[in-house]
Amino acid sequence: MISTIHLLNVLLPIFYFITFLIYLYDFQKEDKTLSNSKRLFLFITLCVHLLYIILRTIAFDHMPITNVFEIFTLLAFSISFSYFILELVTDIRGTGMFIIILSIAFQTVSSFFIKDLFFVREELRSNLLGTHVFSALLGYAGITISAVYGFLFLMLYNQLKQNKFGILFDRLPNLEILEKLCFYSAVIGFILLTIAIVIGVIWLPQSNLNFSYTDPKLLGTLAIWIIYGIGIFRKIYGKLRGRKLVIVSIIGFILAIGSTIISNFLAKSFHSFY
Amino acid sequence: MDLIGISLNHRTASVELRESLSLSNTEIVELISTLKQSLLKEGLVISTCNRTEIIGVASSQNVSFDDLINALLNFKKVDGINSESFEKYKSVKIIEHLFRLVAGIDSMLIGDNQIFKQVKDAFQIADEQNFIGFYFKKIMDYSLHLGKRVITETAISEGAVTVSFAAVQLIEKIFSNLSKKSALVIGTGETGEIAAKHLRDRGVARLALTNRTFEKAERLAKELNTAVFPFDNFKDHLHKFDIIVSATGSQDFILSKSDIEKTIKKRNYESLVIVDIAVPRDVDPDCRNIENVFYNDIDSLNIIVEQNLLKRRNEIPKVEKIISEELNNFSDWLNSLQVSPIIKALRDKFESIRSEEVQNNINKFSSEDKEKLEIITKKIINKILHHPTVELKKFVNDNSTQDLNRMKLSVIQELFGINTIKEQEKN
Repeated sequence: MISTIHLLNVLLPIFYFITFLIYLYDFQKEDKTLSNSKRLFLFITLCVHLLYIILRTIAFDHMPITNVFEIFTLLAFSISFSYFILELVTDIRGTGMFIIILSIAFQTVSSFFIKDLFFVREELRSNLLGTHVFSALLGYAGITISAVYGFLFLMLYNQLKQNKFGILFDRLPNLEILEKLCFYSAVIGFILLTIAIVIGVIWLPQSNLNFSYTDPKLLGTLAIWIIYGIGIFRKIYGKLRGRKLVIVSIIGFILAIGSTIISNFLAKSFHSFY
Repeated sequence: MDLIGISLNHRTASVELRESLSLSNTEIVELISTLKQSLLKEGLVISTCNRTEIIGVASSQNVSFDDLINALLNFKKVDGINSESFEKYKSVKIIEHLFRLVAGIDSMLIGDNQIFKQVKDAFQIADEQNFIGFYFKKIMDYSLHLGKRVITETAISEGAVTVSFAAVQLIEKIFSNLSKKSALVIGTGETGEIAAKHLRDRGVARLALTNRTFEKAERLAKELNTAVFPFDNFKDHLHKFDIIVSATGSQDFILSKSDIEKTIKKRNYESLVIVDIAVPRDVDPDCRNIENVFYNDIDSLNIIVEQNLLKRRNEIPKVEKIISEELNNFSDWLNSLQVSPIIKALRDKFESIRSEEVQNNINKFSSEDKEKLEIITKKIINKILHHPTVELKKFVNDNSTQDLNRMKLSVIQELFGINTIKEQEKN
């Protein structure tokens, strides 16, 4: 089983890269024959990735949530899986390459540095921690996708303002749809982050002796949560729309990345697993 | 079969000339009955704003291009047009021309899919007048099949190639659902009218018009069943619209940057698309710098048109490949017309000889052997004819040696005394 896990660990970035290439080719050539096969290849990649996660969980007797590189592989899966669902629901197929590239980045880093951990701290085997981490990861996947659509919105917005009608004008969905995708992804991300924060705040003080309310990760996540909360509230009441809305989403995402880097690599935190 | 055809089109004639020889559906019906009298056994008359064409199967070998041209000129009672204003086609070149026409690559506007519908209508009129016979029934099938293939397998008709369609394409890149949007058209001249009709056709929820001459706007509003605002106070209503199309003949800006700034504030910065198709421009182009305002003038729309035309031109090789495939299929069918009746006649001839000989000698055999005799003689005939049948069928697919094949067929016909093509045509 271990050798299969190692093989899949090497194969996964390659699978994501091939999927990305198919999406990229379709984006450039708009080949009607690739329209369905690219989705099928993404599905296969996700199945392989799911198998990898299940095998790791069985082989090492814990969910792959105990260090940053295990979390990265889950994040890569969550991002592509969320996009896959979004593509199925909306049937908007032209934006996959912009999302999958993030999965490549996270999975490649994970594949390089991930270790076979047979022994982990007991509290890291808790189901509540699993729920906390999974909801946080899916929340981050939501805000990542929201930021990507926000970024695409800005690119198309600028092209339209400058009367440039290139490949983005041809292939991307219209601004209203991009804004909706950005907003709905952010809402889903916000709800999941809320769940993660609530579980974390209730459970972590009991289970972790090092818990602190001034923990950089906790403060960072709270800041992100407040930014998204205000943005969503203002959008619902019609006070925020278009370019300003997507900029809020992008700022939230940058903060989320910054907070992860600080809490995992720079600051001393009970969230540091590396 | 003697296929013959003439075409007056945008390459050969001026717009005035094309207009003078353009035919209404009623005129096409009348012209068909004239052509049927002495010139064509079957055929097709196509008339659009850019072309008038007559193609068909000549009644006799004496029918010339000039006969068809004169028939058209006499029918339209037009003088002074020489035959150089017409393209002339014979035999399979006509089919190639028709296929190019249906595919939209012979049109003034490459990829114009209107022509496909127009040719379909022309076939229908001809059919109703019993002008579609044995050959043109097949030509119609091949043409319509080709037209459908071109639409589904290529992007030759995709993208806006007129300014007003480009404006719609641009608007649809900003808004997802026009049925929830409102639009105001300022100026109800020819351009404004076209824009208003396009917007209505695309399902804009609320359309309103305004014009310096109120009565003119009112007339168009009645036709399109839309609201109309007096020109003096239309600025008070600007914020109610998501799309503003301006096409007046004004020499100065009728909407300044500050007008648009006030409008977007009233709209709470909800996106506003301004399409300025007037020359000189109606709206201050500086308004493109206002947040959530998308300003486009005629130049930017022309960029979209040019890009789409280039994309369509790039699709031409794909279309030509389809045309070539369908032409080959058509040629195979034509060749099979010559071969199939010969195979059948050859088999009939051998069968009649066999059955005659069996009948003459049947009494020489016992009743038990009579059945065997039938089977054995049939087997012999089948074995004799197997190789010639296979070789004849090869002629259908071999376009490279058509003249030689034709000669071989006539030798077979003469050797065995069979003549079938005329019978096939009669059927």
